[in-house]
Amino acid sequence: MTTRTTDSTGARTRGAYTAAPPRQDQIEGGVPPFGPAIAFLRRLRQGIEGGPMAMPAAAAAALTSFPVEVREAVDRALQRAAGEYDEDEWGFDEEFATALRPLLDFLYDRWWRVETSGVTNVPGTGRAMLVSNHAGILPWDGTMISLAIQREHPMPRYPRFLVLDWAFTLPFVSVAMRKVGGVVASPYNASRLLEDDELVAVFPEGAKGAGKDFSERYRLQRFGRGGFVEIALRAGAPIVPVAVVGSEEIYPKVGESRLLARAIGAPYFPITPTFPALGPLGTIPLPSKWRIEFGEPIRTDHLGPEAADDRALVFELSERVRDEIQRMVYENLVRRGSAFI
Amino acid sequence: VSGRRVLITGVSTRLGTELARRLERDPSVEYVAGLDVRPPRARLERTEFIDADIRNPIIGRLIPQTEVDTVVHNQIVRQPGGGVAPRAMHDINVIGTLQLLAACEQTPTIRAVVVRGSAGIYGAEPAAPQFYTEEMARLYPLRTRFQRDVGEIENYFEGYSRRHPEVVCTMLRYQPSIGPGTDSQVTRYLSAPVIPTFLGFDPRLQFVHESDGIEALLAAIRNPVRGAVNVAAPGTIGLTKMVRLAGKVSVPIPAGAFVPALNTGRRIGMPAISPDFRRLLRFGRAVDVTRLIDEVGYMPRYDATEAIEDYVEHQQGRRLIPSIRHLAVGV
Repeated sequence: MTTRTTDSTGARTRGAYTAAPPRQDQIEGGVPPFGPAIAFLRRLRQGIEGGPMAMPAAAAAALTSFPVEVREAVDRALQRAAGEYDEDEWGFDEEFATALRPLLDFLYDRWWRVETSGVTNVPGTGRAMLVSNHAGILPWDGTMISLAIQREHPMPRYPRFLVLDWAFTLPFVSVAMRKVGGVVASPYNASRLLEDDELVAVFPEGAKGAGKDFSERYRLQRFGRGGFVEIALRAGAPIVPVAVVGSEEIYPKVGESRLLARAIGAPYFPITPTFPALGPLGTIPLPSKWRIEFGEPIRTDHLGPEAADDRALVFELSERVRDEIQRMVYENLVRRGSAFI
Repeated sequence: VSGRRVLITGVSTRLGTELARRLERDPSVEYVAGLDVRPPRARLERTEFIDADIRNPIIGRLIPQTEVDTVVHNQIVRQPGGGVAPRAMHDINVIGTLQLLAACEQTPTIRAVVVRGSAGIYGAEPAAPQFYTEEMARLYPLRTRFQRDVGEIENYFEGYSRRHPEVVCTMLRYQPSIGPGTDSQVTRYLSAPVIPTFLGFDPRLQFVHESDGIEALLAAIRNPVRGAVNVAAPGTIGLTKMVRLAGKVSVPIPAGAFVPALNTGRRIGMPAISPDFRRLLRFGRAVDVTRLIDEVGYMPRYDATEAIEDYVEHQQGRRLIPSIRHLAVGV
């Protein structure tokens, strides 16, 4: 860790620190981490003594006491505060999504010890549809699928999630969802994303899957009306079946409250051994062991867009995808062994 | 072949006057007439000014005399305020449109009607498609008074269009305008000292730059297409990003307290926010502009972010709170 880095912060931030004072010699490498903080405060005080006009320059100068990473992060935060950040037309904010990585990496490595297989079945470019089983009340399964692709795929990409529209009526949740790549689950949005050659993740079980009882775990629910197959057929996008094992145990749902669900307008209100009894603590997921498997892609482009109107074919494909996911779920359950250790 | 003969309603609005000026300079336009109750904003050279209220049946006698082939309906009031009461706004929008169409019925020379309508008809809904295409106008109930007005206006034009297959009716659905010369609810909102937002919401918004707004109208006059066409800057911008680019500080207010807070704010001189704009600030709205680009043949020059940036650039002098970054690192 060095503090002699006035102009080694990269081209973007160069020039921002030209007001730096002569190099300090109080701090050398090996000083405990609060060294920079003390230097920062000392310089800030010097700046304040210099009168109000010297403040901005002093703040910038004082920042030079910190390591490059800290200064870059501060500078980036200030840029964001000035509105200099990118969101695509769907509202996806890659920087925001990346900023969550440390917490998610911890969940992936230590908490759930996720083992991923078949990740190269996800096309690295072009349109494709991930279809997965859904469980665990909160969308941790989608988060981990996305992270598995970020970490293990040779060509990492961010999938776009189709999210239950209820989420977009909620404060904070709505913003977080769109910033990490969630869009309202509707055929129109899904088609448009595929036309844009994006990777779209869908959970055809929907709320039925996420909100099912613990006793029903790993039994796939009905796959809606096969709408996802129609969309994939129209766009000629391959369908990649995904099985997630472990998400069923994170919040073992033992009951639900219709009254509370109606009161907050939610599709269901889960009751688990810890929620709502322990309040916010009850939302900490249990550390089950996870496996994620990406299956062989099922091609749809050879069938042509007209095939989307063929009900029999749509149902058949939908069942095929469901059976494949169910098979992979059972297989991975057996391979996983014990749920928690 | 003789040139086009164009009538503009609402010629004394900023956009109406600018449109008349542009048409005057176009050699293929033989005659320009402008209808309004106030004189135009600037001196127009060869525009014939018709001093009449669009709500008055007298226009049924005046318009046929002009023998125009194109009518541009630009007299749709988008927000209360600016001297127009909510009640008058409804009258101008709905009764005015009815009277205009009655006058058009008696003008057999008409071949094209271009309406500067509003994307407000789509409303702002949490579960909405992320980009509305033109056929998605009635997915949700029309919730606000202005939405219902626009709904009625569109119904009247659809009826007129059915009765007169020889006339091409273009319904341009504009997203809110923004730009250095625009004075609208959006610009007043952005120039307030602090900006009220909904706590926990950061909607995707879309605007149309004022210069694109006028060019799109000109393009639609030159090349009228049947039916509705969305007019907006391509792409979207988040409200938070927009406020930050404008160098403003937002004040997040919980949804339940938003209306009372605004009412209090109005007493101390904060700008008013209409119910439509309020919903927009919570749920946002974006439209698909493929039809404008492919069929009308106009490619907007500003995308969503550029439109805001251009507006902000011209506002720098009036900035109250300097940017935090500017204070801290002097760039």
